[in-house]
Amino acid sequence: MTTYFRTIEGRSPRYLLLVAILALLSLWGLWASWMMFTRGHNITGMNNQVPWGLPIAMAVYFIGLSAGSLVLSAIASVFGQKQYKPFGRIAVYMAILLIIAALASIILDWGRPDRIIHPFIYFQPRSMFSVNTFLYSIYMVIGVIYLWILFAEKDAWVKPIGIIAVVWAIGVHTGTGMIFGFINARELFHSALLGPSFIAAAASSGTALIILLLLATFRYTERPLDDSLIVGLAKYLRIFILVVMYFIFCENVTRSYMPALYHAERFLLFHGGQYPLAFWGGLVTVGLVIPSIILFHPRWGKSIPGIVVASVMQVVGVLAERYIIVLPGQDFPLENLPGKIIVSSPFLDGQFAHYQVSLPEIAQGVGIAAMVGLAYVIGLKVFALLPQEAREIEH
Amino acid sequence: MDRRTFLKMGAATAVGAVGVGAAVQRIELEAAPLPSDEAASSKNRWGMVIDLDKCARGCTSCADACRTENNVPFYGNPKIDNYWIRIVTFKDPIPNAQERQIPLLCNHCEYAPCAHVCPVAATFKRADGVTLVDKHRCIGCRYCVIACPYKARNFVFQHTEEWVNPDFPKRMHGVAEGCHLCVHRIDRGEQPACVQACADAEHGAMTFGDLKDPSSAVAGLVATSRAHVLRPELGLKPAVYYMGL
Repeated sequence: MTTYFRTIEGRSPRYLLLVAILALLSLWGLWASWMMFTRGHNITGMNNQVPWGLPIAMAVYFIGLSAGSLVLSAIASVFGQKQYKPFGRIAVYMAILLIIAALASIILDWGRPDRIIHPFIYFQPRSMFSVNTFLYSIYMVIGVIYLWILFAEKDAWVKPIGIIAVVWAIGVHTGTGMIFGFINARELFHSALLGPSFIAAAASSGTALIILLLLATFRYTERPLDDSLIVGLAKYLRIFILVVMYFIFCENVTRSYMPALYHAERFLLFHGGQYPLAFWGGLVTVGLVIPSIILFHPRWGKSIPGIVVASVMQVVGVLAERYIIVLPGQDFPLENLPGKIIVSSPFLDGQFAHYQVSLPEIAQGVGIAAMVGLAYVIGLKVFALLPQEAREIEH
Repeated sequence: MDRRTFLKMGAATAVGAVGVGAAVQRIELEAAPLPSDEAASSKNRWGMVIDLDKCARGCTSCADACRTENNVPFYGNPKIDNYWIRIVTFKDPIPNAQERQIPLLCNHCEYAPCAHVCPVAATFKRADGVTLVDKHRCIGCRYCVIACPYKARNFVFQHTEEWVNPDFPKRMHGVAEGCHLCVHRIDRGEQPACVQACADAEHGAMTFGDLKDPSSAVAGLVATSRAHVLRPELGLKPAVYYMGL
C-alpha cells in the first residue's frame, strides 16, 4: 500500500488563530528567559540549595518525549509494523523539535546563555553535561538524516538509520539519567536505575504524546484515521507504563530498605509537602495507575475517548515524574555534618530549601512548549508530514 | 518559498553556524593565556586544619574577612546570599549537648566533583591542589553547585554594586564561584584572609600550609589522631581537616 503525504492548506482562520496564540506564548517564554539572563536568577524560585528548578525538569521531560517519539517511529521502520509507517514522518519531526526544545530549556536556564559555544569548544569527557552535548547534537543530526531519508523515500535506508537512531536514543537517555545518577552526594539522585527508568518513562510519555498529536491533527484536518491504529499504539503505551511502574517500585523499595536513607525517602514519599503530592498524586495515580486501569480495561482500552484520557494523564504524570527526579534531591538538605544536629546556619545548612516554582520558570517552560507547537503546525504547512489517510493494512 | 529552497537555506545556515563556531574556537585558543605553572607546582598541596576547640562561640572573623577580601556578594536574603566560608552552629545528638560552631568552606578535594562535572572545564584544579573557577568560561549551568557534597559552591544570583575591596575583581551575575583559598594571597606568600583573621583575633584555630611538606605545621597536625576530614566515605581526599569535631 502506498501512503501519500500532502501539506495542509493552512489558511483557515482557525489555523491562523492557533499560530498567533502559539507565537504569543513563545514570545512570553523568550521574554521570561531574557529577564532571567539580565536580572539574574534571583527572579526565579531557585537558590543556592536548589540551583536547578523547573527548567531542568522541563528539559529532561522534553528529552524523554523526543526519544519516545523516535522509538515510536522505529516500531514501523525497525520492528516491521508496517501499518504505522504513515506516522513515521510526524514522529521523527517531533523528535527533532523536542530535542531542540530540551536544549533550549537547558541553555536558556544557564546564567550565561551567551556562552553557548563553550561546551562545544571546551570538551570535558568526565562531565555528563559535556558528554550529553555530544550525544544530543549527534542525535539531532541523526534525526535530520532519518527524516530526510523518510522524505526521499529511500526505503532500503530506513531500517539501518532507524536502528542507529534507536540505539543513539538509548544513549541519549542513559546519559540524561546519569546527569543525576552520578551525583554521589545527593541521596535521592545517586542511583544506577536512573538511566533505564528514564528510557522507560521516555517511551511511555512519547507514545502518549504522539497518540494525542495524531488524533488532534487528523481530526482537525479532517483526514481519515483508523481507530484500530490508535488502539494498537495504546497497546504499546500500556506495556511501557507497566515498565515505568516496575522501575519506580524497585528504586524506591531499595532506598526504603537502607536506614541511612530513611530520612530522604520519607521526605520524598510522606512529609515533603509538594513532593509526596507529585509522587502519589501526579506520578502514581494520574500517570500510572489510572491510565493502566483504562488501557487494560476490555472496553475503555479500545475506545478513543478512553485512550485520550489515559494519554493525557500519562503525559501529565511523566511531567510530575521528571519534577520529582530533579527537585526533592536538592530540596532535601545535604548531609555535610554527619551524625551532628545543625542548630543554625546562615546558608540553609540542614534545612529544607522549600523550592517554589516561579512565574518566569513557568513562562519559559510554556514558551518553549509553544515553540514546539508552532514549529509543528508550520511544519505541517511547509513539509508533507501528514498522510492523506492512515488505514489499517488488510491481512 | 518551496520546500527545496527552504531545505537549502536550512543547510546553508547550519554550515555557516559550524564555520563561525570553528572560527571562534581558533580565536579563543590563540588568545588563551599561558598556563602559570611557574607559580603553582604539584610539589605543594595547600591545605588547612581547623581546631574546633579553639573556634570561639559567636566569632565570625574568618567569614567577615573573607567577604571583605573577596567581595563575596551579600544581599540580606539567605536564599541567595553567597558564603565562601560560613559559621554553622551544631551539637551532638546527646542529652544536654553543648552547642558548638564550625567554619565550613570549600574542601579543595583532590577528586573534586565540581571539577569533574563542569562541562566546560571552567572549574579546574591548579597543580598545587587549589580549586578555581574561570569566570570568563563558566556558562552558569550550576552543575557544580549540585555536585559539591560540602555545599561550598555558590551561584551569583543577582547583580550587586557592593565592591568593598577595590583590589579584588567584582563578578557579574550568572556564574558560579567559591572559595579559592585566597590564591592571590598564597601566591604572594601570605595566609588566606580567613586564617589571618583568626590569628589576628588571637584564636589561632586555623592553620594553613603545605600538606606535602612534612615539616609544616599543618602536616604535623594532620599526622595526629585528632584530625579528620568531613565525609571521608565519599573518597574525595579533601585538603581541609577538622580537629575536635
